[in-house]
Order: sequence, then C-alpha cells, then structure tokens
Amino acid sequence: MNTSSITALPGITLRSPGAGLITLDPVRTALLRGLDDLLSGLAARLAAPEVVGPPLLSVEGLARLDFFRNFPHLGVSAGRFGPEALDGLASGGSPQDLPLHPTGHVLPSATCYGLLLSLEGEDVGEDGLRLSAAGRCFRNETHYDGLRRLWGFHMREVVYLGTKDGATEHQERGGEFVQEVAGRLGLDLTRAAADDPFYDNGGSRARLMALDPVKFEYSAPDGTAIASVNRHRNFFGERLGIRAGSHGPAYSSCVAFGMERWVHAMILAHGTAEQALERLRSAGT
Amino acid sequence: MERVVAWLNEKNPGLDGPIGVDEDLIEARLIDSMDFLEFIDLLEEISGDSIDLQEVTIDDFRTLARVEERFLASGDLAEAPAG
Repeated sequence: MNTSSITALPGITLRSPGAGLITLDPVRTALLRGLDDLLSGLAARLAAPEVVGPPLLSVEGLARLDFFRNFPHLGVSAGRFGPEALDGLASGGSPQDLPLHPTGHVLPSATCYGLLLSLEGEDVGEDGLRLSAAGRCFRNETHYDGLRRLWGFHMREVVYLGTKDGATEHQERGGEFVQEVAGRLGLDLTRAAADDPFYDNGGSRARLMALDPVKFEYSAPDGTAIASVNRHRNFFGERLGIRAGSHGPAYSSCVAFGMERWVHAMILAHGTAEQALERLRSAGT
Repeated sequence: MERVVAWLNEKNPGLDGPIGVDEDLIEARLIDSMDFLEFIDLLEEISGDSIDLQEVTIDDFRTLARVEERFLASGDLAEAPAG
C-alpha cells in the first residue's frame, strides 16, 4: 500500500519534494481539516484549552526527558549555515554540501514535549491541568510509506497532568472517545499495546514497557496505528518539577492522533478520498 | 532485602521516609524504567538465580513484599508449610 507521491488536481500535479514529504491535495486537505475538527471534540469534552506549542524544542530540555536515550535516531535537527558559508550561498553556490551548524534545537517529534517543557516548575493543583494542541511533528525514519509514514506529519494531542488516578481516567476517557469517533466514521480499530520504536529494543525501558504496557495504540485493519493513549506515571512531573498540589510530582498521560494516518484510514475504509470525505461530512453533522 | 532497600534509596536520594512494604515501586517510579534491568541484575545477584522476563509479571516487582516473596524467599518462607 503506497499512496502515490504525486497527487492529482484537475490538470495539475502536486509533486513530492522528496521521500516522506507530500503536498496534500484539496480533498485530502479537507479530510485532514475535517478530521481535526472532529477529533478536537475530545478537548471540548474534557474542557482542555487549546494552545499552540513551540515550533522547535531545545535539545537540553529533551535530553532531560531521556528523549535521546530512547529515540536518538528520530530527531530532526534544526541546523543553520555558518557565517563562512553565507557569501558562497549568496553568490549562487550550492547549499547541498555545506556544513550546518547546530542550533541546540530540534523539530518536535511529538506535540506533547513542547507543552510539557513549557510547564516546567509549575504547580497544576489538586484538580490537574489539561491542554490540547496540534502541531507538525518530524521523525527520521528508515523508510517512508505514503500517508502512513511521513517525515513530517500533524499530531493532535490532549495532555493531562495531575494525580495518578486522574492520569488513568484521562487515558480511559481518551480511549472511549477514539472508539466512539471511529464508530461514527465507519472505522474498525484494534486496540493493542504499543510497539514504540525504541533505539534499543532490548533496553531497560523497552523491557519494562513489554511487562507493563503504559501505551496503547488504535490501529486500522492494515496495521496503521492512528491514535494512542499513553501514561507516563510521574516521570515528566519529576523531571520537570511539575507538581500537583499536595500530591507531589504530577502524573501525566496523553491522547494522541496522527492526522495524516486518520486520512489514510478513512480512504482505506471507504475506497476513495472523495467517498471518505462524504462519509466524514455526514458523520460531522 | 537490605540490599534492595539500599539500592532504592541510592536511586531515590530525595526520599524522606522508609519505603512501605506495600508501596507501589513501579507506579511511583522508585524503580525508574531506565534502571529496571539493573534492578533485575541486583535481584539475580542476591538470589543467585536468573530471572526469565518471559516468566514474570510486572506485579512480581511492584512491592517490596512481593519482591521478597517471589525472588528472595528467605529461610522463614521456605520453611513455611507448603499448603
């Protein structure tokens, strides 16, 4: 199953600039936007205010969250040309082989990191805090596959920080919402423990995850995971000094949607992008 | 069991009291996921037996009471009536 890297528009083709990079055509764009509206319903239901996360994340912040220990291969770096390269570029030289200087920042690989890092040192109180955000996320992959596996994609998340029980409840309510929306859209999803792309699959965190799954994915019939619910125990609360009033370090959990993958799952279920859009419009009313 | 408690205290220098025998070590992350295999190594070293992760559940590691019962059964427990 490989979505064409060239999407058709009447008389016009939208070419891909490279592997894992796609310009969505108007129908798929309408699907993406419509699905995002529908999935934003979780934030409304849970009274999670909508925010916009930062477009870049500091490597120092991510290192404190063990990001590079777990996923050193995924990070897409934000480099910049050094002063020594600028004259050559300005006079028409090729940028292809010029070295990039690190900026200390990478593009987000998930929407929640930027939100969590923004809350460092805060007290979210006894009742906890929810935030909702959508953003473009980027991951280096060994292969790309249509809308299923992109270099950059949209991820919507609803994050909770608060008590241990609150984090579990957030995960449960998120899971119920996913199945409810899937039912309205005619999607048949399977729930299973997540198989996260840890760099070291035999490592400590991956082994504990196998014994005690904290993340579950909802997958389309072809195995594409389109949503996940994930709890982090009090990891982020401890690492970032985020407290939940008298409960101490906050427990957290999040519900995440891979938007292009929802588009893919809709087309898979309904045959064509046009039919998928028709189904989405009837489900949204 | 003293070595287990010492290990937990070493990993969690901020603890301000003793660890209860029924306290959830996993959920409270007194055993951090990055240290989980080190904890297994410690239990193997103390007990002298290897631990097959295919044959255990997370609950076997969840509390000090369970860890003792499952991996460090002392002479007292060994001498208890079997049934």
